[in-house]
Amino acid sequence: MAIKKTKSGAKHSANGNRRHNLASRSKPKPADLRTYSIPDTRLEHPDLTVRQAIEKDKDGTEHVHYEVTGNLNASVPPIRDSKYLDKQQCIEIYRYMLLNRKMEVALENLYKQGKVVGGVYFGLGQEACSCASAYALDKDDWFAPMIRNQGSLLVRGFRASDTMMQYMAKADSPTHGRDGTSHFGDIEKRNMVSPISMLGDLIPVLSGVALGARLQGRNIAVMTYIGDGGQSTGVTYEGINFAAVQNLGLVLFVESNEWAYSTPSEMQYRCKDLAERAIGYGIPSVIVDGTDACQVNDAARDAVERAHRGEGPTLIEAKMMRMKGHAIHDAAAYVPKPMFDFWKKRDPIARFENYLVKEKKWLTAKENADLISEVERVIEAEREIAVNSPMPTPESAEGGVFCEDGCHEIKPKYGMPKVKKATGGFRQTEAAVHLK
Amino acid sequence: MQLTYLEAIRQGIWEEMDRDPSVFCLGEDIGIYGGAFKVTDGFIDRFGPERVIDTPIAESAIVGAAFGASLTGMRPVAEFQFMDFIGCAFNQISNMVAKTHYLWGAPAPLVLRGPSGGYVHGGPFHSQNPEMWFVHNPGLKVICPATPYDAKGLIKAAIRDNNPCIFFEHKYLYRRIKGEVPAEDYVVPIGKANIVREGSDLSIITYAAMVHTALEAAEVLKKDGIDPEILDLRTVSPLDRDAIARTVRKTNKVIILHEHSRTGGLAGEIAAIINEEAFDDLDGPIVRIAGLDSAIPFSPPQEERYLPKVGDVVREARRLEAY
Repeated sequence: MAIKKTKSGAKHSANGNRRHNLASRSKPKPADLRTYSIPDTRLEHPDLTVRQAIEKDKDGTEHVHYEVTGNLNASVPPIRDSKYLDKQQCIEIYRYMLLNRKMEVALENLYKQGKVVGGVYFGLGQEACSCASAYALDKDDWFAPMIRNQGSLLVRGFRASDTMMQYMAKADSPTHGRDGTSHFGDIEKRNMVSPISMLGDLIPVLSGVALGARLQGRNIAVMTYIGDGGQSTGVTYEGINFAAVQNLGLVLFVESNEWAYSTPSEMQYRCKDLAERAIGYGIPSVIVDGTDACQVNDAARDAVERAHRGEGPTLIEAKMMRMKGHAIHDAAAYVPKPMFDFWKKRDPIARFENYLVKEKKWLTAKENADLISEVERVIEAEREIAVNSPMPTPESAEGGVFCEDGCHEIKPKYGMPKVKKATGGFRQTEAAVHLK
Repeated sequence: MQLTYLEAIRQGIWEEMDRDPSVFCLGEDIGIYGGAFKVTDGFIDRFGPERVIDTPIAESAIVGAAFGASLTGMRPVAEFQFMDFIGCAFNQISNMVAKTHYLWGAPAPLVLRGPSGGYVHGGPFHSQNPEMWFVHNPGLKVICPATPYDAKGLIKAAIRDNNPCIFFEHKYLYRRIKGEVPAEDYVVPIGKANIVREGSDLSIITYAAMVHTALEAAEVLKKDGIDPEILDLRTVSPLDRDAIARTVRKTNKVIILHEHSRTGGLAGEIAAIINEEAFDDLDGPIVRIAGLDSAIPFSPPQEERYLPKVGDVVREARRLEAY
């Protein structure tokens, strides 16, 4: 709120920067005025760079391809211990990550069997990001996934069969066949806004969810995701800026996964880290290792708690690599192989498994094997449900365009907003106008 | 009570905010300034800055935020300073808001409103009638009132509706048209046309500012012994197919009059409806009177050439009557 902001400006400090600026006013140190720092919890800082290179084949024909430079042999860092997660919670997140991956393996098989309508999108390599971020939300918080955040849906209580039926365009899918992939939502129980294929539009929408809740007297966290590709859209700017000026509890998870379809991040933006964007919005940001579930969860939880305290939006940049093509048809041949090798060693599930079994010894080898088989059994049962659902009837294409005939009762979700007492009745106005 | 078209809209929103705490307004310069056309003048004092929100100049964010708030059960009323700028939020409206109930069953009770229309020399970016961009988007209700009574009754109906409504206020009518508006609460149903002049010789199907153009033309035609019926659509999506068919069956001759460009305009759709519903009742060709197929130009002589006029309606009515 503009009005509240002037009353409590200190609360709204950006990365501590604005506060720093104000504090500096009495004793000017011009060199320090615009020195911003961004917290970075990573235990390694990969320095890989992708650029276009031209190579001649033996016939002298030129071919343009991507090549990668940097320290490709860096050793894999350890998992950073979480500030918040206990043993059981770590194991629960690990289970969700396993569910996420095994569900996608099942989807790949369903595709190969010709049971999927359209393509399949994978979150391979990004499971820590999806699962550990959504895990930080409380029940009343809201979220909206992007196409690769199929793990977030599992954490928020959707079943693997929901997503599978979406891909197979089945009658029992959450959209009853009307849309596929993770394009569905639930405003009643799981507080999820359905994504659309156009990128960035969810950011102002989730901000509006937080605005609606605040008018009803609740500060909630609203989490959504954007990629290094999607953040190039104009509506991304509009949405973050809106959340910033309105001080809304947006938790924006920027998944820097190196590739936007086939375009490397070097051709998507010029700044060093997308977390730097937050400085321009006047909001805090943090960089995390997107293959480390503990770092992801801690940053998300900090941001969620800020949102609950009414302190405004946070941008979290998680770095990792998309380990498959854009969708199942895309072999990602444009990705330099050494890059795949580098990130394969940083597989989020293998790293977390090693942490739980070998470092922390929170799971014995037997318990781990049992957990993996249990997840496989769940996915197989979910696959059965999905496969056995019928296709929708042609007639079901009709109807439902409008909310009519009492299909929904609309009322404020968190309680009736408090309203200002009347201080004057309606008076006609005769003020000057823009065009007569 | 006699109210201007603008005051009727202003009073309608005011009363709904008074009646229902879930209604709130957002838009550019709508707070202390009261909006470029003063539709929300005094609202921030009465309802407070929480419910009358000045936003950044960011139309996609305005629509997105309104939609998000509507998902929590609020009823946002978002103002576009000029409806020309609604194009900046087109994706949010077309792909997010309009499809939401059909695809995943979430109602979106929001109103997007603002001034549209020409005759005020606003130029190509402040005079457009972009309603057709949304008529071709299933899932949206598109409302274009012509009178203070309808403007107030329809803005209240739009705010109470459980669907996204786009409410086009004709800026030429804002302070030029006054009319009787009852003091007590009422709504005008969305999707229902209204016969504003009974007649027997031909039908003029139109809406918004063109209703007044048609009424003026009718006064001229009366002297020629031509008695036109005028149907004010009031809502352009969904269209009142029955009312269109009824008037054609009665008069057997039709002029469709609208301000926006001819090609791909509403007249084409209405002609197709007549073809489907009342083909055998036609005693003459369906006549279209519309804006030129160009941007709407700035200079008054050019704008006058672009826009339909009383003389155009009189000329076309005489030609059609002679059939």
